[in-house]
Amino acid sequence: MSSRMDSIWSKLDRKATAIAEFTIRQYRTRISTWAVMIAGILALSMLVLFYIDGLNTEFEAIDNDGDSIDHDSDGYPTGQEIIEGTDPFSAQSFPVGVTPDPASKWINEDDFDWDAIEANDMSQGYDDDGDCRTRTTSSQRDQNDNNIECDVYMDWNIYTQEHTIYSDGGVDEDPDENLYGQEAQHRAFVLGIGKFGIVYMLGIMLPLFLATGLIREEMSSGTMHYMLAKPIARGEVLLYRMIGYIGVTWPYIMSICLVLCLITGFAGPGESIFRWSDIGIWMSISLSAMLVSLVYGTIFCGFGILWKNGVILALLLGVWELGMAFVAIASGGDSPIKFFSVIGWGLTLVDSATMIFWPDNNTLIEVGLWGGGQSVTSWFSGEERFVSLPAAEALSTFSGSTSGLSLAPWASAVTASLVLIIQAAMSWFIGQIVFKSKEID
Amino acid sequence: MIPDLTQEGKAETKEWKPDLTAPVVMFDRVSKSYGRINALSGVSIGISGGVTGILGLNGAGKSTMFKLMMGKLKASSGAVRLFGTDPWKNPAPYSRIGFVPEHEKLHDWMTAFDFIVTFGRLHGMTRDEASKEAARVLDFVSLTDVMHKKIGQFSKGMRQRVKIAHALVNDPELIILDEPLQGCDPLARTTIMNVIKELGRMGRTVLVSSHILHEIERITEQIVILHRGRVLALGNSHAIREMLDQHPHKILLECDKARNLAKSVMDINEVTGMSFVNENQLLIETRHLGAVHSRLPKVIVDGKHTVKGIDNPDDDLQSILVYLTGGFL
Amino acid sequence: MEEEPFEPVKEKPETYGAETPVTGQSQMSAAWSADEGETSASSAQVATLPTGQVFDQIYQPWRGTLNPRWMRNWAILRHHVLGIFKTGHRPWGIPTKLFIFFVIIASSTDVALALLFGLLGDSDLYSLWGVNRDNMYGHVMGFFPRNILYYPVVAALLVGGMISEDRAHGTSALYFSRPITRFDYAAMKFASIAIILFFIINGTLALYYFADILVMGKGWAWLIDTFPMFLATFACGILLAFTYTSIGLSLSSVSRGRFFPAIGLIAILMGTRTMAYIIDTLFDKSILYVISPYDAVAHVCQAIIGTEMTYDHPWLWSLASVVIINGLALYLLAGRVSSLEVTRE
Repeated sequence: MSSRMDSIWSKLDRKATAIAEFTIRQYRTRISTWAVMIAGILALSMLVLFYIDGLNTEFEAIDNDGDSIDHDSDGYPTGQEIIEGTDPFSAQSFPVGVTPDPASKWINEDDFDWDAIEANDMSQGYDDDGDCRTRTTSSQRDQNDNNIECDVYMDWNIYTQEHTIYSDGGVDEDPDENLYGQEAQHRAFVLGIGKFGIVYMLGIMLPLFLATGLIREEMSSGTMHYMLAKPIARGEVLLYRMIGYIGVTWPYIMSICLVLCLITGFAGPGESIFRWSDIGIWMSISLSAMLVSLVYGTIFCGFGILWKNGVILALLLGVWELGMAFVAIASGGDSPIKFFSVIGWGLTLVDSATMIFWPDNNTLIEVGLWGGGQSVTSWFSGEERFVSLPAAEALSTFSGSTSGLSLAPWASAVTASLVLIIQAAMSWFIGQIVFKSKEID
Repeated sequence: MIPDLTQEGKAETKEWKPDLTAPVVMFDRVSKSYGRINALSGVSIGISGGVTGILGLNGAGKSTMFKLMMGKLKASSGAVRLFGTDPWKNPAPYSRIGFVPEHEKLHDWMTAFDFIVTFGRLHGMTRDEASKEAARVLDFVSLTDVMHKKIGQFSKGMRQRVKIAHALVNDPELIILDEPLQGCDPLARTTIMNVIKELGRMGRTVLVSSHILHEIERITEQIVILHRGRVLALGNSHAIREMLDQHPHKILLECDKARNLAKSVMDINEVTGMSFVNENQLLIETRHLGAVHSRLPKVIVDGKHTVKGIDNPDDDLQSILVYLTGGFL
Repeated sequence: MEEEPFEPVKEKPETYGAETPVTGQSQMSAAWSADEGETSASSAQVATLPTGQVFDQIYQPWRGTLNPRWMRNWAILRHHVLGIFKTGHRPWGIPTKLFIFFVIIASSTDVALALLFGLLGDSDLYSLWGVNRDNMYGHVMGFFPRNILYYPVVAALLVGGMISEDRAHGTSALYFSRPITRFDYAAMKFASIAIILFFIINGTLALYYFADILVMGKGWAWLIDTFPMFLATFACGILLAFTYTSIGLSLSSVSRGRFFPAIGLIAILMGTRTMAYIIDTLFDKSILYVISPYDAVAHVCQAIIGTEMTYDHPWLWSLASVVIINGLALYLLAGRVSSLEVTRE
């Protein structure tokens, strides 16, 4: 050889590609890699099957305000009689010279007319079927006392951190269940499978299977001796092995997100042929899962270096992270304790992206939970609560209403990504210190 | 590029340069203990050039010594130096070193060629350079015809040769072989021995460990004998034997008529005893092995005896160790 | 005795004499013949032969009495289970032992709390922690922390190297070179894990129940009320231990390291449950819970013990799922063990 590389800090790119390439090829020869990846695809496919089944099931249209019923059997449904100003409860009083409407016209006839992006303290809604506008007195038409007749007023209570909806009554009270349900179900599915299925499950399972033994298995089988007898620092070996690891996991995560984005984008509800706004959500899910799997991978690999039974530490961390994932989801994203975990930041990233790409998401949840203002009183607690629309509960479970960072959505997305990258760098740094001072038999 | 704080030899500051005045390998009063067990105690040796055999029974400290050199273990006390540099936490000297570990485990899923190319690239070679080097070293250990086969299909001897080839890919100045002959059949043994001898002739410093003396003697005369973590003897193997002359030695002569031969051998003053194994074998006891060996040919020729073989039955590591330790093994 | 496995060879009494070198042949003969071997073996001496010699190869059938099959299996079982408590048996890792100890303590918290509030006489808190239907169900089937932190992790630790490490270390070859069938080998491995889990789950359950009876001085009426409940919960504990063991051991038989079976067991338990949770929340369909081993067992147990059902689909589906999951796992285990290569890998 003409020129001898005397410094271990020269030709780093060559060493890096050599180890990363070696690692990827090593993964390729292992059955467990394939088993884990195929199991992941099977599990996600099963979820998608349920999603497609859900799309094909139409939500039953419910006459929330009951005005399709012809109480007085005069041939005219109640809603029509109210508009025409006749008495819906008297068979003698009916509009003369008007053809009676079919009952179906008075089902789902007063859908939401909400256009506000941030619907806090704002007047919303339009009374499509006119049962509010035809009321006689002004005070009857403005029951929520905001000096606007026949509207819905949405109030943000900063103490309870909850929206409250005050309606004038008869406004947007008979929404289209199927339209709402399909949209909410689609969003809930994207967020549910994205946050739990991809960011948490894939994000933690891939590292558990693929990264825990990355250094440890080589150490215990003795093949590490070959690599460590080369002019290359152990910290670099760890780093480049991790690069090989993400060389396998990142394309896998990205292609899964791409396929799911295409399936749900084309199959999902909506006017356009493809749901373009979903792309941003899927990108954030993919980015979050990739970063989370990198952080976990580095930590688990470090556990493996630290201790022969590092998998026990990894499992304990996994349980902690599962708890944090539930805390983050149950609190709707607004929980400071979630920031003491990796998954908390990963979910924050997705929540921020939801606020960017689906700005109406919180409104959609509130509207769905309000459901047109119909309420039932629980026989159990005596508490009065609104009857929510289908899939509204699910959407509210899986969406984070806030990033918990009191920053603009873009800023919190960037912050969460940076924190995850810093977490990965820190775990690499600690891991290489442990590795460097490890005596290897 | 990477903030590795305690690392020596950063490219940005100074390149690692071997200290040409220092011995290639130097152990200065090195001790290594695992808990209460002393694997090495106060070993001081310096080795530069030629093939050196490290001899010792299992657990004598050979592997510990190599692991200290390869920075796998940290010396409990004393200094280990390779080209004048401490290898603990500093892999810089390994650019000039080839190491053959004793572990049998290899990356079975790779071909021999890929294995050597991959690990060659860790020396900073490009893929092309590494391929050229890999072809060269595989030819050197005569594995060219099977180099594109998976290592998993190789026999033990071939695997050992792959390991040796991988260590030679950077054209190292110091080659460390931990038990390279273990578990090989005679044919593979001969090939590997020739490879090691060839390396010695090329002026490299080669360290070979073994627990079988005559194997090492077929490769080199320069030996270090380790026992229980201490250096028992060091230097030319024949010279060490000479120094052991004070101890009784046995020589087994195989001849036609043992009784006739015995009469002639009696004339050698240094012979202290004789016994007949059977009528064709004569066993001589002496305290001056060298002297007897130098006079024996003349006695045999003068007496017109037919001698089929001369053998030192106790001339293996075991008996040398018995002498050196005074019988306490 | 009538039917010899090999064609008997005529005895050659003087096969190894003083002139025979120790070649291993004479030693082997001695080791395998229990009756007269000892005297013969002692006559083998080291000597040098002038020429080579070819020995007649004689097969001497072993004429000892083989202990019955259950006795050999008992030895394997004992070897594994006793390793938890004392040395000289299967060396379980220190972390495994420590974790089992921790789990035994932690799963006895309800015993301590019930006794504490019972003795203090706080009837409200006692009714919260004392023996009743829901608490007994919770002792065995409670999800957090018992079936996420305790029992599955113990199962994962036990199962980790059970078969895979035996193969990696070559110790399975030691078993198979003895008169032990592969079926017995696998069955005893299975039994030993299941028994350890059984002791942890049902041992603490029994402690909970009987401590309550003894300390609180429960009467016969209470006993008659609760004993069927206790038996049902006991059966559930057995079912749970069995299911975890069969999944874990089948994973252990297909893998090489100790990592994969341990992680795989946890991944299957948690992964299927998370999937089912997503579907249940999204589409209000609890049917996917049948693929989750934990939930399938929990559903069956709710039916047996008679607590409130938390799933919408019929419990017989879950029962079928438990049977299918265990059947598949045992089929995989049996198939793998019978075709296991006993070489060291």
